[in-house]
Amino acid sequence: MTAGELRETLTAGAAGRDCEPVVEFEGVEKTFHPGTPRAFTALTDVSFRIDDLPGYGEFIAIIGPSGCGKSTLLNLIQGFPDVYPPTRGSVRVRGVEVTGPGRDRGMIFQKYSSFPNRTVLENVSFGLEINRRELKLSRSEMTDRAMALIRRVGLGGHEHKHPHQLSGGQQQRVAIARSLVLKPRILLMDEPFSALDEPTRYEMQRLITELWHEVEATVFIITHSLSEAVYLGDRVWVMTPAPGRIGAAFDDVIPPTRDSDPMMVQESTAFKEVVVEVARAFHELERRHEEQAAGDGRGGRGTEGA
Amino acid sequence: MFKRRGERRGEPDEPSAPAREAAAGAAAAEPAPAEPAGRARWWRLWRGGETAPPPAPSPAPGVVDPPDPTPAVAEAVRVPPKGAAGAPSEAAAGALTRSATHAAWLRIREEIPAWMAWLLGILPILALLGLWWGVTAGATPESRLISPTILPSPLEVVRSFPSLWFDRALTRNLAVSFSRVVAGFAVAVAIAFPLGLAMGAFTKIKATFNPLAVFGAYLPIPALVPLTLSLFGTGEEQKVAFLALAFVIYLLPLVVAAVDQVDQVYLKTAYTLGANRWQAVTRVLLGVAWPDVFQAMRLGFGIGWSYIILAEMVDIGRGLGGIIIISQRRGPREHIYLVLLVIVALAYLTDKLWAWAGRRLFPYRVESRR
Repeated sequence: MTAGELRETLTAGAAGRDCEPVVEFEGVEKTFHPGTPRAFTALTDVSFRIDDLPGYGEFIAIIGPSGCGKSTLLNLIQGFPDVYPPTRGSVRVRGVEVTGPGRDRGMIFQKYSSFPNRTVLENVSFGLEINRRELKLSRSEMTDRAMALIRRVGLGGHEHKHPHQLSGGQQQRVAIARSLVLKPRILLMDEPFSALDEPTRYEMQRLITELWHEVEATVFIITHSLSEAVYLGDRVWVMTPAPGRIGAAFDDVIPPTRDSDPMMVQESTAFKEVVVEVARAFHELERRHEEQAAGDGRGGRGTEGA
Repeated sequence: MFKRRGERRGEPDEPSAPAREAAAGAAAAEPAPAEPAGRARWWRLWRGGETAPPPAPSPAPGVVDPPDPTPAVAEAVRVPPKGAAGAPSEAAAGALTRSATHAAWLRIREEIPAWMAWLLGILPILALLGLWWGVTAGATPESRLISPTILPSPLEVVRSFPSLWFDRALTRNLAVSFSRVVAGFAVAVAIAFPLGLAMGAFTKIKATFNPLAVFGAYLPIPALVPLTLSLFGTGEEQKVAFLALAFVIYLLPLVVAAVDQVDQVYLKTAYTLGANRWQAVTRVLLGVAWPDVFQAMRLGFGIGWSYIILAEMVDIGRGLGGIIIISQRRGPREHIYLVLLVIVALAYLTDKLWAWAGRRLFPYRVESRR
């Protein structure tokens, strides 16, 4: 696939169907500390469009080498003040230019982020609590909603524990419940399971696919694990080394299915073939980048022609 | 002391592995009451062989079997049981105990039982008391090493307690000093707490006040006593103002640091949940930093006891500092020592009270530190 074709696919959206775009990037470039010796271009020329398919949120898995701007991409969707605004281009969520973080876009970090001073229940209901007036919720309604999600993520019985009494997997369950309690239409996950051991990862993958089928939100997940990307994503994007672009896109890879055991699926031959294919693309992008860096002399930060 | 086998590599007289296995096997195969010959017993003891099962189905002595790798590995990692020390190994002990983790005593970050910690802690106190008693012992003032007008004996100090309690009104003066500390502390917290929170949260406010805080950090606090005297006179205001100033200088950087240390991920999480600026500061920054702020207040309050004495010693007034000055000028000297002991005891008790309150307020913090 040439660069032009790739771009076309990425920006086409759900062609022919009457959908509104959920997330739209148009020629986005992000340079940190521009005009200083520390200037670093994390993202360059990123364009894509994700549509809101009725009754179905897309699951986009993003992989790429370290420091290729994967997190910058998510942070731009969220509009965190340390990355926003982009140096060039525009980021739109539901047709509106992003101006800052908001509760329509949930986010889960690699770092455990449960407030240490709050119990599980207080952590999960935090979002409801601070939006209480807008949501017009009574205290008991808040508790009910939070408790329903706590049970849904499998933390029933732990609601009065503090985060330090939980395992890493349980802490990430708290983070998931805390985001979902606000019913976000977009869920951003920045390497959410990287710090977990393998069996826990599988459990979390299963939980995420199940929940995703229920909430039907558009999910972006960054991961270091190829098989996790292929398992979870119904699209897999491979990013180039910095400055990051979407270098390859795999659509309609094995869609994550409910009731399927993550470990069994990931052991199947068909699955492994897809992983190998994605891995090839990954290495190919790295190789091309190195070649070009060698060609450019020491710099190697020029925009790649592909 | 026994050493692990792996640490003995390179000993010149060490037998080869097969020979060692054979010797051990031979020793272990012997009937229990019979004492094995010298060298075999040496090795058996060294390996802790007395409790170990025989490694092979009894090979004849002298027959060298090829060593089975599995038991050899197991042997290498097994620590010989305590109390199996035999005379032959004592000689080798010096050469063996070279590792940093198994030095005979004074190990780095060693875990010691509570009784030992108590005992070790009490030894210097006893030594100090003994020294005190020694230099002040004697029937007449002339026979003492140090004159009683300079250093009274421990018994004399204890005996002067009733006069301190009644004649010098210990409890009333103590209450005066304590209330001054509390008042100064309250004023200081009212200033340092909101200012520190604002400085920790907002970079612009921090940039504005940080130079002042740095200036304060290098101020010689005792020099503020004459300064506040000329500003506030010798009354109650001066004591409280001086204490408040000293407390603010101490507390402010600690409060700022506590807020600074709140991980960015909590703020980011709160933003994605729709928190506004006020909620981010009060619910997240303050909420997460509270235990550290409390800890800073606890440390600050402890420092207060030094400052109050400083403030009270400038004039012969009420308060424990006043008692010290009067006792120094008019005697008895014993009261100085007693007041010092009383202050230490009181500071210790209030600190325990702070610690208890901290455990009640932040149970999650205490548990996570265990």
